Amino acid sequence: MTLTDTTERAPSSDQPQTRRRRPSLERATVLWNLERFMLLGLFAAVLVLFTVLPSTAATFPTAQNIRNVLSNESVVAILALGSMVPLVVGQFDVSVGATAGMAQIAVAATMSKHGWALVPAICSGLVIGTVVGAINGFLVAKARINALIGTLGVMTIIIGLVQLYTSGATIVTNISPNIVKLGSGTWLGIPPTTWILIGVALFVAYLLGQTPLGRHMHFVGSNPTAARLVGLRIDTIVFRAFVISGFFAGLAGALIVARNGNGDPSNGSNYLLPALTAPFLGATAIRPGRFNIPGTLLAIFFLAFTINGLNLAGVADWINNVFYGSALVIAVTLSAIVARHRAEST
Amino acid sequence: MGPALTVTQVEAPAAGAALRLRGVSKAFAGVPALIDASLDVRPGKVHCLVGANGSGKSTLIKILAGVYQADQGTLSVGGRTIAAGAITPGWARDEGLSFVHQDLAIFPTMTVAENFAIGTSYPTVAGVKIRWSEVNARCEEAFEKFHIRAPLDAPLAAISAAQRTMIAIARAHQAQGEDAGAPVLILDEPTASLPPSEAQFVLDMARRCADDGGAVLFVGHRLDEILFVADDVTVLRDGRVVRSGPLGGMTKADLVEQIVGRELEQPPVPQAAATDATEPVLTVSGLAGGPLHDVALEVRPGEVVGIAGLVGSGRSRLLKAIAGVVPQRAGSVHVAGSEIARGDILAAIRAGVAYLPENRDADAIFGQLDVRENLSATDVGRFWRGLRLRHSEEAADAQQSIADFLIRTSSDRQPIMTLSGGNRQKVVIARLMRTAPKLLLLDEPTQGVDVGARHELHRLIRAAADGGAGVLLASSDLEELATNCDRVLVLASGGIVAELRQPEIDASRLARLSFPHDLEPT
Repeated sequence: MTLTDTTERAPSSDQPQTRRRRPSLERATVLWNLERFMLLGLFAAVLVLFTVLPSTAATFPTAQNIRNVLSNESVVAILALGSMVPLVVGQFDVSVGATAGMAQIAVAATMSKHGWALVPAICSGLVIGTVVGAINGFLVAKARINALIGTLGVMTIIIGLVQLYTSGATIVTNISPNIVKLGSGTWLGIPPTTWILIGVALFVAYLLGQTPLGRHMHFVGSNPTAARLVGLRIDTIVFRAFVISGFFAGLAGALIVARNGNGDPSNGSNYLLPALTAPFLGATAIRPGRFNIPGTLLAIFFLAFTINGLNLAGVADWINNVFYGSALVIAVTLSAIVARHRAEST
Repeated sequence: MGPALTVTQVEAPAAGAALRLRGVSKAFAGVPALIDASLDVRPGKVHCLVGANGSGKSTLIKILAGVYQADQGTLSVGGRTIAAGAITPGWARDEGLSFVHQDLAIFPTMTVAENFAIGTSYPTVAGVKIRWSEVNARCEEAFEKFHIRAPLDAPLAAISAAQRTMIAIARAHQAQGEDAGAPVLILDEPTASLPPSEAQFVLDMARRCADDGGAVLFVGHRLDEILFVADDVTVLRDGRVVRSGPLGGMTKADLVEQIVGRELEQPPVPQAAATDATEPVLTVSGLAGGPLHDVALEVRPGEVVGIAGLVGSGRSRLLKAIAGVVPQRAGSVHVAGSEIARGDILAAIRAGVAYLPENRDADAIFGQLDVRENLSATDVGRFWRGLRLRHSEEAADAQQSIADFLIRTSSDRQPIMTLSGGNRQKVVIARLMRTAPKLLLLDEPTQGVDVGARHELHRLIRAAADGGAGVLLASSDLEELATNCDRVLVLASGGIVAELRQPEIDASRLARLSFPHDLEPT
C-alpha cells in the first residue's frame, strides 16, 4: 500500500500507533459493547416474537412450556458447561454426548437389571463419566494425541459398547419413581434439573474464576508455551479438564434417565452438537473472545427457545439442525470479524 | 559515533551487472537504516554483503524482496530499472530474483523430491497428474550438478541441515533457470545455523551456482567464509556502503577494520572469574548443547553480565539451557547452590531462576487475557486463601506492579494486546520480578521497544541487580551491553572467546570480538 503504512509497521516505530490509538479505542469500545449484548438482544427479540406471534401466543409464554424447555435444556446446559472446561485449556471433547449416553444406560441398567438403589445407581453413572474423562485426559495430556481425534475415537468405542450391552433395546422396567420425580416435578416452581444446573454453573464459575487451577487452565488455553515457561504442569492441567468434563457428562446421563424415565441407547449423540455449539456461541457474548458461563447459558436457552417457538409455530423438524448449524457458523464468523477489527484498531 | 567514514570506491566493471542498486535509502520513523547504498552483482560471481548487527544488511535484503519499500534509489535487473520503493515480491520473482532465507521455506515431512519441485512448475500429464518420473529425473540431474547426496524419497526432516540448505538453494537456482533473464540468487545468511564443517558444503554450493552462470548475493558474517567464497565484497557500516568491489587481496584484518571502523586487536583471554567474597548465584561448567560446547561461567549476586555474539553463536540457547527450557547435552548448571537437572523448568524456577524469552508475544504473553492476569501468571496461588481467590488483593498487587514498573495502561483489566510492545515487555518483567528471583535470564529484553521504554527497562534491570539478583543479559545490541553490563562474555561459534569488564567494554570492541576468528575452511 502506501509508504506511511509500511513505516508504521516497521519494527522501531511505536510512536505513530500510540498517536492513533485514542479515537479507534472509542470505536472499539462501541463495537465491543455491541458484540457483548447482541446475543442477549436476539434472545429478547425471539421471546417477544413468539409471545406476540398469533400461532404461538397461546402456548409459548405459558409456565408449562417454559418449565418444560428449562427442564429439558438443563441437561444439555450441564453437558455444555462440562465441555467448556476442556475448551478453556484449548482442547475439544467431542465424546461428551456419547459419555452421557453410556452413563444413562449405566444408571438405568443398575436399577433395572441389578436392583441397585437410586443413589448407588446415580453414582455408577458419575463414576463411568469420570473414568471416560480420565481416559480422554490420558490420551490427550500424556499420550499427546490430537484431542479431536482421540475423543472421537473414544466416542465411537462408547457407542459400540452401548450397542453391545443393550442390543439396541430401551431399558424401561424397574426405574425408580424417585428419579422420575426428579425429572418432572418442581421445587419452588422451578424444575429440579434446573436447580442442579444452577449448582453446576456455580461450581464451574467457582472453578474457573476462584481457584488457581481455573486460572492455570486459562493460561494453558491462551498460550501453552508461555504457560510451560512460567512453570505450569500442562499435562496435569489438561488431564484434570477432561476428568471434569467426563464427570459432568456422567451427571447429565443420570438426568437424562430422570427426564425420560428410561435408558434409551440411541440417546446421547444428539446432545453433542448443542453441547459444543453453545460454548462457541457463548464466547461471542458477555465476555467476547472468551469461553464464559453466562454466555454459554444464554446461548443454550436462546437456541432452545427459538427452536421451541418454531416448532410450536408448526415449522417442520428439519429446522432444528439447520438452525443449530447456522447459529454456530454465523456466530463464529461474526466474532472472528469483530476480533479482527479490534486487533486492527489497537 | 565512530571515526569519520572513509568510503573506498572500487570501480567494478559497470557493464553487465545482473543486479544493480543505486542510491538506495530507507529510514524507519526518521531513523536512517540505509543511506545512499549502491552495489553491483555480476553474473558468474559471488558477491558477499557483510556488516555488523544493525548495519543495514537485512534492510537492504528486505527492500530487494519487496518487504520494505525504499524511500529513494533505483534497482536495475537485467536491463530493466525500477524505483527501489516500487519493488513488490511479485516483481522480484518475475525478474528472476530468488531468495533463500534462513528459515528456508521447506516442508520437513515432505520428501526431498517434493521439496525440490515446489516452486518450479510440476510437469503434468494433461495438466492434471504430476509426472513424478520427470520430477525425479530433473531432481537427480540438479543433484548431480550440485553434488547433493540425498535420497529422493526421504522426508526432508531426515537429512542434514546443510543438505536441506543446499536443496533450498538448488531449488531457487532451478526456478530461475526456466526463463531466459539473468538469474540472481540472494542467500541470506545461509550458513548462520550450520557448524563450520557443514557450512563448507553450502559455500561450495554458492560457488557452483555462480559457475553455472548465476549472480549470487551472499549475506554472511563469518569472515573466513567470506574470504573463501567471495569474488566481490560490499561492506555496510551504520547504514552506509563503506566499500563495494572485487575482494582483491583483502585480509581478514582489513575486512574487520572496515566492518567496525577500527583496527583489529588481539582478543583478551577469558580469565577465571575474579575471586570475589560473595558466592556465585550461577555456576555453569562444561555446558554443551546445540551450537554450545564447553561453556563455563559464573554470575554473582548484584552483577549484570552480558552475553554478546552473532546470530547462531548460541546466545539464546545458553539462556534456555540454564532455564531448563531445553536440555543440555553435557555439563552442569548450579543456581544458588542447587543443581538444575537437564531440562527441568520447575527445578530452575524453584531455585530462583526467572527467564525472559526472546520472543515475547509467542512465548511469554497470554494474548487473550488482561494485564492483571498476565502479571500473576507465576504466582496466582498466592491469592488463594479460604478456598477462594482474593481478587481485590490480586488487583492491588497489579496496581502496585503497574506503578513500580511504569506500565502505561488505562487499568489492570485492559486486554494485554492493546498495550504497546514496550509495555507488554514491562508486564513480563514485572511478573518475573514478583518471584524475587535470584537469577534473571534476559534474552533481548529491549527488542522492538521504543526509546523511552528501553531506558526504563534498563533502569529496572539495574534495580533488580542492586536488589541482589544476578542478571545474565543476552543482546544483539552491543551498545546496550556496553552501557548496562558490569562484565560481558563474548560467544562465538558456541564457545566463550572473550570476557570484558568495565571500563574496557565498548560496542566496537564487542563487535570485533564477535566475529569468529578461528575457523579455517577446509
